[in-house]
Amino acid sequence: MTTPVLICDDSSFARKQMQRAIPDAWDVDISFAKHGKQALEMIRAGKADVMFLDLNMPVLDGYQTMQVIKDEDLPTLVVVVSGDVQPEARARMLALGAIEFIRKPVDNAKLVSVLAKFGLYLGESSANKRAEEVKPTTKNSYIEKLDAYREMANVAMGQAGESLAQLLGEFIDLPIPNVNLITNTELHMAIADIQRNESVSAVSQGFISAGINGEALVIFNDSNFSNMVKLLKYSGNENSGSLELEALMDVSNILIGACLRALSEQLHLVFSHNHPIILGRHCDLDDILKTTTQRKEDMLAVEIAYSIKSQNINFDLLLLFPNESIDLVFDKLITPHF
Amino acid sequence: MAVDSSLAEMHWKHDILGSIEVGIVVLDKAFNVQMWNQFMENHSNIVPRMIQNKNLFEFFPEIDKEWFTRKAAPAFSLKSPVFIIWEQRPYLFHFDCSRPITSQAHHMYQNITIFPLASLTGQVEQVCLVIYDVTDEALSRLGMQSLNRQLEKISQVDGLTELYNRRFWEEQFDMEFKRNKRSESPSALIMLDIDHFKKVNDTYGHPSGDEVIKALAGIIKKATRETDIAGRYGGEEFAIMLPDTPVASVEFVAERIRRLVEKCTVVYNKIPISFTISIGIAGFKHTYKDSTQWLDTADKALYKAKNMGRNQVALIE
Repeated sequence: MTTPVLICDDSSFARKQMQRAIPDAWDVDISFAKHGKQALEMIRAGKADVMFLDLNMPVLDGYQTMQVIKDEDLPTLVVVVSGDVQPEARARMLALGAIEFIRKPVDNAKLVSVLAKFGLYLGESSANKRAEEVKPTTKNSYIEKLDAYREMANVAMGQAGESLAQLLGEFIDLPIPNVNLITNTELHMAIADIQRNESVSAVSQGFISAGINGEALVIFNDSNFSNMVKLLKYSGNENSGSLELEALMDVSNILIGACLRALSEQLHLVFSHNHPIILGRHCDLDDILKTTTQRKEDMLAVEIAYSIKSQNINFDLLLLFPNESIDLVFDKLITPHF
Repeated sequence: MAVDSSLAEMHWKHDILGSIEVGIVVLDKAFNVQMWNQFMENHSNIVPRMIQNKNLFEFFPEIDKEWFTRKAAPAFSLKSPVFIIWEQRPYLFHFDCSRPITSQAHHMYQNITIFPLASLTGQVEQVCLVIYDVTDEALSRLGMQSLNRQLEKISQVDGLTELYNRRFWEEQFDMEFKRNKRSESPSALIMLDIDHFKKVNDTYGHPSGDEVIKALAGIIKKATRETDIAGRYGGEEFAIMLPDTPVASVEFVAERIRRLVEKCTVVYNKIPISFTISIGIAGFKHTYKDSTQWLDTADKALYKAKNMGRNQVALIE
């Protein structure tokens, strides 16, 4: 009997990645939804005995969708496939009735073990045929490319968030990453409004492997420092300036470290990173970004605006890839690894 | 043959660890030393067999144990590399700097990396500490910072009087003007100038003239508050901006300065010199289109004081 399966994710790259992981021999009829609202319609139309559901999506996110499924007792088995892998995210979704929680990026092995665990499918695990059939993301489509980068950032953001949540003991609110191809002179455009006209401090760290290089920036709003210092529970009686520096370094170490580890995993590389540099303290964001070399070529800018809502803390993680690295990143992303 | 080549490899790898100009230390979870390379041995004068399996903190009381344990924690628990920069703490190990004679530093500035080492269990049982000597980088950065501070001061302050120079005073005045435009609290501006200053110069010489100017600046500093913005506007002309001060109080301040000057005698080359000043005051008005208009009004008040016979305070409200 054919099983109707629904893949719900705002990223086409992620939907394809999910589709490629489904075993060839599992008799399924696959449908796709771009957000929760579409998914609910399809569940009601009987197209989703099993649904693979993302969390961070526009229109209706994974939590809201799951809430409706629970409230209306809709007939679907939900497996969460998420970049946000904080224990609290998992707990919330399982409490709402999801049967399992898979960490992105999903692959055939992870999926098969989950399907087996719940007796959904116990056959041959190979997905080679399907992987070949699924049209690879085309190189020439600007939108699909950005989508692939966004999904890569999404996974990295989630893992970095998880590490930070562990350090701080707080739930980190994850946004949808903001991905842009910009020129160096427009760098300030890569950063959302939250940091505008505020006094900020920033740390930068470079990374490189296999011809792919880039820079990771952590940008802190200075007015958030006191709350952050409280969260970190520093003891001792150092002055607030040095505690701020400790907070800046501790948070950027964790964020950049976890983020690069997640990128390494997805790109199948091991990055070496240099020692971090303080780009500026208590200064204007524009002043920090002004000192960059005036290169004219495009670069890829990924902005991740983390926040800890309960503490009123916002900070930015900015991943920047120079022109020469952009296509190499893309090639690595779409090259299948078995 | 195979044994020989692997032995040879072990030797040259050991040589690398020994010759490399960075400190390498391997620590277990209890911070007992598992490895101590030549760099560490040379700079600490502690040979590996002395410190092997011993606690790091026992040998280096300068390390803040609580702080360092905290810093290293993410390497163990989150498998995350940790970077510590000299701006946080100048050093972890108190080593002499590498050039004991010509370097200006009294110790080695250090950047530290702590990264997790893989183990068979999948848990992090050991971390590696890498110690970089960044003394020269730190010194040049610190030197630049202090140079920038000096430059900033030089660019703001008049050398003779140590009051703000005209350019910086005008900048501050312009900002104050804009603030006044938005606020309701009254502010006032004083312009003052030494009476017949040319005569002082001609009679006693320029060095004496400088002494007079310095003495006047000293009186202005004494008579004004920290929040007032006083600057040397021209050769013998001074401007004082008094935020949040009603004109009546400003008149009082101005009169006080005038009297202090009148009573003051500057002695240069054993010759006593007395002098007087004229003062103009203009309160802020919302009708002023720009800061220049306000400045012109204060200038007019100053001329009024001159015309009234000098050694006077005049006011245009």
